[in-house]
Amino acid sequence: MAKKQTKKQVKNKTKIKKIILKDTTAKKTVKKEKKTKKQTKISPKKSPQKKTSPKEKIEKIRKKKKAEVKTTKKPKQKEKKLVVKRETPPPKHPKPIEESPEHKKIRSEINKILDGRFLPLAILDDIISKVSEEQKLQSKLKVIISKSLAEYDKNAVDPSEACGIVGAQSIGEPGTQMTMRTFHYAGVAEINVTLGLPRLIEIVDARSIPSTPMMNIYLRDEFRLNSDLAKEVANQIEITRLNSIADIETDLTNLVIYVKPNMKTLKNKNISIKEVGEIIKKIRGIDAKIDKDSIKISLDDPSYKKLLDVNETLKDLKVKGIDGIKRIIIRNEPKEGYVIYSEGSNLEKVLQVEGVDPYRTTTNDIQAVGRTLGIEAARNMIIQEAHNTLSEQGLNVDLRHIMLVSDVMTADGTIRAIGRHGVSKEKESVLSRAAFEITVSHLLQAARRGETDKLGGVAENIIVGQPVNLGTGAVELVMKRSKKKE
Amino acid sequence: MIYTRFEKARIVGARALQISMGAPTLIKLPKDVISPIDIAMLEFKEDAIPITVKRVQN
Repeated sequence: MAKKQTKKQVKNKTKIKKIILKDTTAKKTVKKEKKTKKQTKISPKKSPQKKTSPKEKIEKIRKKKKAEVKTTKKPKQKEKKLVVKRETPPPKHPKPIEESPEHKKIRSEINKILDGRFLPLAILDDIISKVSEEQKLQSKLKVIISKSLAEYDKNAVDPSEACGIVGAQSIGEPGTQMTMRTFHYAGVAEINVTLGLPRLIEIVDARSIPSTPMMNIYLRDEFRLNSDLAKEVANQIEITRLNSIADIETDLTNLVIYVKPNMKTLKNKNISIKEVGEIIKKIRGIDAKIDKDSIKISLDDPSYKKLLDVNETLKDLKVKGIDGIKRIIIRNEPKEGYVIYSEGSNLEKVLQVEGVDPYRTTTNDIQAVGRTLGIEAARNMIIQEAHNTLSEQGLNVDLRHIMLVSDVMTADGTIRAIGRHGVSKEKESVLSRAAFEITVSHLLQAARRGETDKLGGVAENIIVGQPVNLGTGAVELVMKRSKKKE
Repeated sequence: MIYTRFEKARIVGARALQISMGAPTLIKLPKDVISPIDIAMLEFKEDAIPITVKRVQN
């Protein structure tokens, strides 16, 4: 109704517009402007309107953008939710440890004193723990913070320092002293673990699966003190195949297979015949009937070959447990209670098992940590694994060099390998990539595309023969203005 | 201002080159000092070198 009226008004008032435009009643003129644009293709640009309409237009555009942003955010969130599919309801996890209110007070005071300047979190945590112990120190917080800042600045690296090269050498030199033997029985749990140089190569190459994946599964409060509950969790995790709990008999004359489970083992593992039957029914092309003690399997199309195929699949059929976990060892640690060590790793599914403490369970599969817990967790995992590998061999490498490598690997949000498939592939300079590996193909591609090399890095400046933009090469000298002698 | 070790090295090096090519020295020197590098280091200690560094902030 309103639209029709305004259309009529516009048609009648096209000549009167010029008079109205001199008024500063903003809203009405803006609406009419828009509708006339559609109809008459006139773009009226007159000065009194410019003051009011652009602002309103900008406001409207901003509101539209906000609405768009809101609508586009929701589908993204939906996509993320779809990835985690839960068949069972999520287990109730223990709450994370929160900071005590004293510590929070001290922390907020420190932040006020710092006023935007930076101190690393580890140092702040140290200060807070010591100040909360001794009451005398609380009044001297300002002095403490100013002295910590001074020390931190003293120890900071000089700008244009070649920290990449220094870090590479600091890790590489002890690497020459590492053993080449791949694994030995890691004393605690008699599980093979890759150690030494091959493990370091796996970490730095960002391999999708380590050669000896393993997990340390910690249990929640009730579960780690009670051996029966711990065994139940272990049963849920460890793979049990049909082979180990049942006898599989093939009747060739009738082309039927009888599966007779051992009742004792079924009780031990807390599995019922119904569950076994359900899993067997999922095999294609067969019909399974559950009797009291056994399951009778008959084929839809009876044939000898199919019978043998079904027999083979039945032997390896997974009845219970999580894919990827080969072997499990439960140990009663002195302070910890029951801890499960597993050979094989499947972080996503183990974290969902009831009884597992998701805040402390670890794995040595870095890509899995990146997928499940995020890129920051993966960065910390790389640092921890590399540091453990080096210190296990008795080599003491400062954490900062390893932190630099880890930061370079995870800087763009994914775990990239250091090597021609990852970080080195993504360098801007043609000459440095050509100098690294596969010389001819890099030069040919660059020539085809007409690429330019900005000569910003180390390798290309060495090739060309100029001083490198590091250390003394990054210093620009200027003559001082002479001071007037008094 | 406080120079980084790279800046100090560059300044002393440039000054030593100038002295080696015949530039006049700017401080009173003890008699046994002859190497241009030693002369430049002494000048740097006494803040007598007229060369400084232009720092560009990113």
